[in-house]
Amino acid sequence: MNQTASAPILTTDGIPLKVSLKKVERKNKIRAFLLVFPLLAFILVTFLVPIADMLARSIDDRQINTVFPKTFEVYKKWDRKDLPSEELYATMFFEVKNSEGYQIGKASTRMNYSKSGWKSLLKKSKRKFKKIEEGPYKEQMIAAEKRWGDIEYWKALGQMVDPTTMGYYLNAVDLKYDSSKHVIQQPENRRIYNHIWYKTFKVSLLVMFFCLILGYPISYLLATLPLKYSNLLMICVLLPFWTSLLVRTVAWMVMLQQKGVLNNLLVMSHIIGDENRFQLMYNQTAVIIVMTQILLPFMVLPLYSVMKTIPPTYMRAALNLGASPLHAFYKVYMPNSVPGVSAGCMLVFIIAIGYYITPELVGGKDGQMIGNWIAYHLRTTLNWGLCASLGAILLAVMTVLYWAYNKVVGIENIKLG
Amino acid sequence: MIKSIKATFLGLISLAFVSSAFADITFVSWGGAYTASQQKAYVDTWDKGSGVTVESYNGGLGEIKAQVEAGNVTWDVVDVLPDQAITGCDEGLFAKVDQSSFIDDLVVPPVSECIVPQIFWAYTAFYSKSAFPGKKPKNIKDFFNVKKFPGKRGIHTWANALIEMALVADGVKASKVYDVMNTPEGIDRAFAKLDTIKDHVVFWSAGSKPLELVSSGEVVMAIAYNGRIGAAILSEGKDFEYIWDATVLEQEYLVAIKGGNEAEALEFMAHASTAQALADQAKYIPYGPMRKSSIDIIKKGEPWFNTGVDILPHMPTAPKVLKRAIIADPFWWADNGAEVNERFGAWKGS
Repeated sequence: MNQTASAPILTTDGIPLKVSLKKVERKNKIRAFLLVFPLLAFILVTFLVPIADMLARSIDDRQINTVFPKTFEVYKKWDRKDLPSEELYATMFFEVKNSEGYQIGKASTRMNYSKSGWKSLLKKSKRKFKKIEEGPYKEQMIAAEKRWGDIEYWKALGQMVDPTTMGYYLNAVDLKYDSSKHVIQQPENRRIYNHIWYKTFKVSLLVMFFCLILGYPISYLLATLPLKYSNLLMICVLLPFWTSLLVRTVAWMVMLQQKGVLNNLLVMSHIIGDENRFQLMYNQTAVIIVMTQILLPFMVLPLYSVMKTIPPTYMRAALNLGASPLHAFYKVYMPNSVPGVSAGCMLVFIIAIGYYITPELVGGKDGQMIGNWIAYHLRTTLNWGLCASLGAILLAVMTVLYWAYNKVVGIENIKLG
Repeated sequence: MIKSIKATFLGLISLAFVSSAFADITFVSWGGAYTASQQKAYVDTWDKGSGVTVESYNGGLGEIKAQVEAGNVTWDVVDVLPDQAITGCDEGLFAKVDQSSFIDDLVVPPVSECIVPQIFWAYTAFYSKSAFPGKKPKNIKDFFNVKKFPGKRGIHTWANALIEMALVADGVKASKVYDVMNTPEGIDRAFAKLDTIKDHVVFWSAGSKPLELVSSGEVVMAIAYNGRIGAAILSEGKDFEYIWDATVLEQEYLVAIKGGNEAEALEFMAHASTAQALADQAKYIPYGPMRKSSIDIIKKGEPWFNTGVDILPHMPTAPKVLKRAIIADPFWWADNGAEVNERFGAWKGS
């Protein structure tokens, strides 16, 4: 043995042990990565990319800038007080007349968001401009379509000068740009989103609250009853959970409507008169009742799995040491169940805030939530920028809530089981 | 053994190729009694090489735009409303159509170059006869008059047609409705009229809902799609009665999605828009064909409906109805729909 102590330890084939170990480790790492890779790719493609795309859409305003580039160059020089100069009219004229294919259709959809009427104005103009051969163009354009002489249309263009915009976000909270890009409030009869946001949070919080009130005792029973009863009770919780969302919603409609089961029973037993039937369907009350029932299992299951782990000896010890049952519950049992409560509340709130189908079916006039408006703009007005900004705001709110929750309670305290 | 597996495998692959050469057309419509009528009138009679898969959707261009933008078009022929037809054609979502074979046969000129004609349908007010044993509501003014005819009203959750009806109820002539709607005061006036029934309305969004609401007594009158009311009267024997006043007529078209199976889609659309096909559709649902010659076929063939009754009196295009009706202006709604509907949403929620 003539090796000195400082020389590296070698494996049998003469490679230093450290290197050899690293090699094995790297192999393992690569193997582990390859195993995780499908999932990673899946999440990337189906989750992160769409979210990034949504965020990009919420500020993207190139739909129109690329169609009328010269017009916007000239537009920047306009003082926005009187009707624009002949130069601006002429550039607009040529860019409308010479626009190709579907560009102008897409641009007009965007322009219509800032001022209703742009759509038909451009469509009709494109047809009529074919007959106009030479300038000056201003008078001829106004003669062809008198809206070209309406300064409001020109002012509305001012919102779209830049390739990116915060306009959709402003729109999502009932604000807008005026012609010189100052932020102002929407006119009163178009302010809807703030009210909808308020309602969405109110309904979600109430649903969360009622789920907790109703779910806590059930979970307690589930966790403490002997197995043969608790199994039966568990089935009662799970059966509706496994039933289709639509079926449950429609069943509630049958129960709660004015000539429905509940009202009929109350009238038959003379508790209320035939004239005073309760309006329990097609309003916010209905949304809260139905959503609470639908989301209840999401509260019960995490609560139950946490409560199951609280040893009954704790309560017995507290009672044994002289605490009143209420005091023992408050001091011993409740703090132990907090991880379950937080998990349940978070789960219910997050699911509730983006709810769509139930408010759509039973919401009636005042039970619509933000999800319904996103669906409306997605399908009908094609204002995907606004959809994206509404979605992004939802995402941001959830992130902030999650962060605050982490600060206050600590995320490690969440337990799903 | 392995040989036979190989053979089966190759066979399957070649089958896949063969079937893609005669790819099926996916035809997307609104479902319910309406799609059933389309199925019987021209899907079942389609005997060209390809099969037709029928799917349902809830309207709007959202799905179509997503398919075209992603380059993954799975729908080939879609049944659309006029404002969708205009926007979709302008934005290049739909294929252009040769309209020479029917353009002179249409009741109203086509709204875009991408469509073939289907039907007129209408927003119509109706009630159940049993709800009004005494005096019965006769016109749209009665619908908006909760003092004379107390009880709840069922209306839809969007503003189309309601603005028009409210204005007529407020005294505007049916023919002047869009002139009034072109002024901001006109819209205010419509909302003021809607305010008068606001505390008495129940909203619906699915086409079958207003019929349920009236049947169950949840409301005394409602606005619904005339075809649904007609189907309920004719096929189910309900005691419903139309209020043929300020009926708002909407058009319905077929379009072919760009990037789908265009060639066969266009052929199918030609088959689906012949005068005979549109007339046959009216055997199963009382919507009004958009081709004049289809109406002639029906007139000669009465009683035309499959249960053996006259269908023309149930159509929104009957002359008696047309006199007091409003033909919805898709261009007005393409321009102002988003704004008015947002305002309607604010009105609904406040």
